[in-house]
Amino acid sequence: MSYIARRLEFFVITVWAALTINFILPRIMPGNPGQAMLVRFHGRVSPQTIKALEVAFGINNNESIFQQYFEYLGNTLRGDFGTSLTFFPAPVGDIVKQGLPWTLGLVGMATIIAFALGTLIGMLSAWRRGGFLDAILPPAFIVISAFPYFWLGLLVLLVFAITLGWFPLGFAYDLSSSINLSWDFAGQVAWHGFLPALTIVITSIGGWILTMRNTMITTLAEDYVKMARAKGLSPVRIMFMYAGRNAILPNLTGFAMSLGFVISGAILVEIVFNYPGVGFTLLQAVHSEDFALMQTLFLLITIAVLVAVLAADFLTAWLDPRTREQA
Amino acid sequence: MRRHRRVGLLATLAALALFGSACGTSSNNNGNQPAIGGTLTIDNESGALWQCDFNPYNGSVNGQSFGVLYEPLVYDNLLNDKKTNWLASDYTWSSDSKTLTFTIRSGVKWTDGQPFSADDVVFSFNLIKQHSELDLQSVWQVLDSVTKDSSGKVVMTFKQSAVPNFYQIAGQTAIVPQHIWSAFKDPVSQVVKDPVGTGPFTMSQCTGQNITFTRNPNYWQTGLPRLQTVTYPAFLDNDPANAFLATGQAQWGGQFIPNIDTYYVARDPQNNKYWFPPINNINIWFNTTIAPFNNKAVRQAIAYSIDRDSVSKKGEYGYEPPGNQTGVLSPTFDSWIDKAQADKYGYKFDPTKAAALLQQAGYTKGSSGIYQDASGKKLSFTIIDIAGYTDWVASVQVIQDNLKQVGIELKAQNLESNAYFDKLFTGNFQLAYGSLDTSPGPTPYYELRNTLHSGTTAAIGQTAAGDYGRYKNPAVDTLFDQFGATTDSAKQHDLIKQVEAIMLEDVPVIPVTEGVAWYQYSTKDFAGWPTPADPYAAPAPWNLPDWEVTLLHVYKKS
Repeated sequence: MSYIARRLEFFVITVWAALTINFILPRIMPGNPGQAMLVRFHGRVSPQTIKALEVAFGINNNESIFQQYFEYLGNTLRGDFGTSLTFFPAPVGDIVKQGLPWTLGLVGMATIIAFALGTLIGMLSAWRRGGFLDAILPPAFIVISAFPYFWLGLLVLLVFAITLGWFPLGFAYDLSSSINLSWDFAGQVAWHGFLPALTIVITSIGGWILTMRNTMITTLAEDYVKMARAKGLSPVRIMFMYAGRNAILPNLTGFAMSLGFVISGAILVEIVFNYPGVGFTLLQAVHSEDFALMQTLFLLITIAVLVAVLAADFLTAWLDPRTREQA
Repeated sequence: MRRHRRVGLLATLAALALFGSACGTSSNNNGNQPAIGGTLTIDNESGALWQCDFNPYNGSVNGQSFGVLYEPLVYDNLLNDKKTNWLASDYTWSSDSKTLTFTIRSGVKWTDGQPFSADDVVFSFNLIKQHSELDLQSVWQVLDSVTKDSSGKVVMTFKQSAVPNFYQIAGQTAIVPQHIWSAFKDPVSQVVKDPVGTGPFTMSQCTGQNITFTRNPNYWQTGLPRLQTVTYPAFLDNDPANAFLATGQAQWGGQFIPNIDTYYVARDPQNNKYWFPPINNINIWFNTTIAPFNNKAVRQAIAYSIDRDSVSKKGEYGYEPPGNQTGVLSPTFDSWIDKAQADKYGYKFDPTKAAALLQQAGYTKGSSGIYQDASGKKLSFTIIDIAGYTDWVASVQVIQDNLKQVGIELKAQNLESNAYFDKLFTGNFQLAYGSLDTSPGPTPYYELRNTLHSGTTAAIGQTAAGDYGRYKNPAVDTLFDQFGATTDSAKQHDLIKQVEAIMLEDVPVIPVTEGVAWYQYSTKDFAGWPTPADPYAAPAPWNLPDWEVTLLHVYKKS
């Protein structure tokens, strides 16, 4: 159990470090949201108003840097991320809340499918090395994953949405409906999400196939696999429980990382398919020097990556007894 | 209003989508008594998800509320200055043009059932006085007071005669309900989630990706609107927005569409139409405080070195017509143009004339083919531009070529939009390509005044509301002030002609092309659209509050 305790300890320290860096960075960057607001209002605002705005944005107030720091920690824990500059006067929390579920749903689901499918294909093609599957799928997907995303996205959109009209052109659900819990709505979400998810899966699956296939080949040569064969175990059992279970370990951390980065969204997917996620918001925040929004999104990304890596550590501990014994 | 005009990542590839044949035909019988119904979808790239904030005084979100939800006192058509009484049933100017009295329409109700009254009007104007951030049109620069008199009329007094400011005050200021807005602690940072207005529609649902407007059955114009529902989806980029429009999923567009004839019209030539009326000038701004742009001859020479036709064709696909040096939009304001004077100067691409002007001013051609002054300093400048506006970037390239042929070197600095506006407003540039950031108006006065009047400018380093080039000419200031004091149309025309004379002789800015209201519409299921023959409103969905008027005219064909 000390393995898990050490992981947790490490997790807490990294989260604290991330929070602190997140606090410091905007304060040492050039530029000032108050000034940006002044330009936005075309000089229509009085200096007093600018002062008030600067206080609202959490800069240029009379508190010491330590006071500000603890206030920031408190606010962050309470989920109060301040006011967005780009979307003034909307609170950052609202903007993130609006897009995040869609991003998590779409990109998260697509990442899981790509990983699961890629791992399975990698495993099978290593098992039947040089077979039909091995000769076709890995090279095909690796070539596809080298395509520029927007090119593939627009092509898919052109064929399936514009020319054939099988799928909608964009959005997360029908324009006429509202968010609700019904089979009909779930169907809309799946229908609208199909093309974007498909493009994410086919562009990212190649990497998973390749790494899984390669580690699997090494694992297949291990003594314990030979031992399992000698025992006369069924091939399926050997493939999944002996070779596969060990070969997947190096991939897990990579998968956890990519799950964490799901939060940053897929900017190009959102642009091509006009999907209401959080990735495009991040792009806008960076463009317009919207520190409060940027900070919040980066913080969420960092924490998501850390949580995912932590989960992967736990999973590794469960899959691989050797990690548990160290200590 | 500023417009994004990004050409998307692979607009050209998307254009290939056209091999699909034009789709279905519809029975084309015009209904004689249009019934209420139909769902109209607006297509206008917003570049962001909706914030669901319906504050008509917040410049970044008022495009979704001012007009259809909140209304002005008088509707003043941007294209022809035709005024229609709206929330005011009548108005009169005092003889010295310093007092304006509105009679407020009776029988109007807010969408929550409360009666609308003169108190709401007084409240709205005083609200934006107290919170100058909300005063989008700077009406309190000329207003002195807004009060209700004993007979229930709204009386506005002015610091100076301000006849043309009628457009901003009566036509561009939204009236909000006092019984709701007086409860807002800080109206500047208030997010208005549940708007209550007097408009023809109510906001029935808003998500990040779409706003649904539903017909207000108690609207004061009885029988209107005839549309049951209007949906307004949010588009992050031009490409998906254009595809949505071209496939007929949206019927009213305000989009820049490259190759519109093949991409949009050809899909349904019977019904897919467009009209791009010019609404503002896209200029080259000189920083007139620095050499050599403080020299009239150099400014004139540059004006003779630009091939406006080719900028319009190569940079703007021919959709934005070439501008003219009078600064008066053609054809929108043709009746104001002094053609004889313009012909006398004959500004067009004329390298010989430009060379002559430069030589007269003491410039000689150096070995590199670039003109230089007596000290050997080359005529070599930097022009700022917005990198995201691909059409502007292309236009500037054409201008670079033109100037090079004459012997002037131009370097383009394509900036991210925030950085660009920061430089433009503070005068931190040599040359700038772009339009005024303030809304244009229904006569040439508005744009020309904001372009030339020294009262709109500021010192270098400070934010200017207009006159980004810091041009100062007391004669032109006086002309505008005289215009502001008269209600006599003939006199106004005469004054603008004198301003045109200054534009032609002094060349304080060079209008290169004319920005247009992008407008596409489909007559397949809907009729009643604004057309060149019936320009009852500025036609783009982002023309505020004109879009309300369009939505009141459009109806579903039966």
